[in-house]
Amino acid sequence: MAKKRKHVESEDQEAPVDNKVAPPRPKRTLLGWKDKPVGEPRSDGGEVFRNKEKVLVTCSRRIIFRYRHLMLNVVSLLPHCKKDNKVESKESKGATLNELVELRNCSSCLFFECRKAKDLYLWMSKCPNGPSVKFLVNAVHTMEELKLTGNHLKGSRPLLTFSSNFDGKPHWKLLKEIISQIFGIPKDHRKAKPYYDHVFVFSILDDHIWFRNYQISVPHNESEKFDRGGLEKMTLVEVGPRFCLNPIKIFAGSFGGPTLYDNPFYVSPNQIRALEKKNKAGKYAKKVKAKTRRKMHEMSNPLEPDEFADLWKD
Amino acid sequence: MDDEELDDDEAGIISGEESEPESESEPEDVRLAEPSKTSIYNSEGLLEKLEDISWPDNVDWIQKLSVVVDQQAGIDVNDDLSRELEFYNQALNGTREAFEKLQSMGLPFLRPPDYYAEMVKTDSHMLKVKGRLLSEKKKIEEAEERRKARDNKKMSKEIQAQKLKEKVKNKKESIESVKKWRKQRQQSGFAKGGEEEMGLNFEDGKGFERNKGRRGVAANDRSGGARGRGGMKGKVGNQKGREFKNSRFGFGGRKGMKKQNTTDTTDSLKGFNGAENQRNKKKIDV
Repeated sequence: MAKKRKHVESEDQEAPVDNKVAPPRPKRTLLGWKDKPVGEPRSDGGEVFRNKEKVLVTCSRRIIFRYRHLMLNVVSLLPHCKKDNKVESKESKGATLNELVELRNCSSCLFFECRKAKDLYLWMSKCPNGPSVKFLVNAVHTMEELKLTGNHLKGSRPLLTFSSNFDGKPHWKLLKEIISQIFGIPKDHRKAKPYYDHVFVFSILDDHIWFRNYQISVPHNESEKFDRGGLEKMTLVEVGPRFCLNPIKIFAGSFGGPTLYDNPFYVSPNQIRALEKKNKAGKYAKKVKAKTRRKMHEMSNPLEPDEFADLWKD
Repeated sequence: MDDEELDDDEAGIISGEESEPESESEPEDVRLAEPSKTSIYNSEGLLEKLEDISWPDNVDWIQKLSVVVDQQAGIDVNDDLSRELEFYNQALNGTREAFEKLQSMGLPFLRPPDYYAEMVKTDSHMLKVKGRLLSEKKKIEEAEERRKARDNKKMSKEIQAQKLKEKVKNKKESIESVKKWRKQRQQSGFAKGGEEEMGLNFEDGKGFERNKGRRGVAANDRSGGARGRGGMKGKVGNQKGREFKNSRFGFGGRKGMKKQNTTDTTDSLKGFNGAENQRNKKKIDV
């Protein structure tokens, strides 16, 4: 998409105000602001960093509605994302997705893969050259649930809070970086709003990453005075969605490549279901076995003759 | 691209050891008892990748907006309440920190109240949420009201009982006072002043409540006023006997209790004629 407005960098606002004359307003043209040269050299000599993250969000075919809604919620939370058509979840989906990402000019991808109409896997991938992560998604609550009563501006930039244990092991560090790049909204994105009214929580608990989204709210009549120490009165209201990510594997490439990490404790839901089934199936055999065992036991240890047996017979 | 590796992740990882079958309905909680031996952990590769993708170090905080918050140790994952509280606290502490940073940069934080823009949830959805909240509130209020009514009912019963008790006590007291007055009168030899006293006594001590409506009629008189007025007017001499008989055998009012024997009547030998009895015995003997 053509850039409509070149951004007046935030440095303008942050510039010291000691020169008494107000900075001249940039001239308006038909196409936007006639701006100063973008990419001013910074004091350290480097080019100004500009976050140009774009996220492609898709899902697999035959995704169930609950997970689709979750995906749509994520789309509504990320103004810098592009939604695409469903992708067939087969062997070659990695190649397809990589192509798609390139086509849509994106730099990362969120892929919601639903299998057996039960299990949701979430791929987070940095394209084109990795890394990518595969998660199993548990405990999904979508934004539509009426218990989640918060609301916030669409496209306002979220504050990202990470629990401190993200800075421990290397794979958590990597995950933190990936998450903060994908879920952080670029600063001067054209759809982003200049206020901060919600906060994301990423917390590691029990080796799972838990996601929450809260609205920041202050009492109604106080919102004007908030800037002066309204910190105490700040409350949070949950907006949703909620989910819990269980990391399965980290790959070096995008949607593939050598494995860098795999979760040593992970049991796939298929395995769990199979096990459950097996347990259920063995019920009758177990009963028969127990019966014969009991019989054998009784035969091998006969009861002593009861000395009081004929006591009342006369 | 090696897609085989992606899709067969179930087959490879879990080799032999499985956690003991847990009869849990929630499949989420199942995990291996001990780490599988075939798992891969390439920390150098991870760190290398991290370096690859991470932003330059000198990026302003405002670009990232990320805050690290300490986590409390020892939270039970299965305890929903404490877990959610932990997340809430993390969010709150993070927000405070971020707020201070933004404040120091002089950037606006919350949206001003007159800034209207599209929200994440639509108005119609928020209406639904509001409706639900209201209905919940109503439910709670109704339950409260019902409970209050129930309590009131219980209370009113108690109050009623208390009232009854008081009534009985009053009655007893008044009877007592009458007795006392009678005794006094007896002691003073039926002096004339007694009449006055009696009047006073009834006035201040409320007397028998029941008699209020029908003055001069006995408490258990159900003759409807026939007594004392009507039939007995002719034979004045016999009045006393009649009264006694009435009180004994009843004239008007309930009769059952009066005709029954009591210990006194059975013990008394008042109506016993020994001679006649003797005669009867002789007759039988013959």
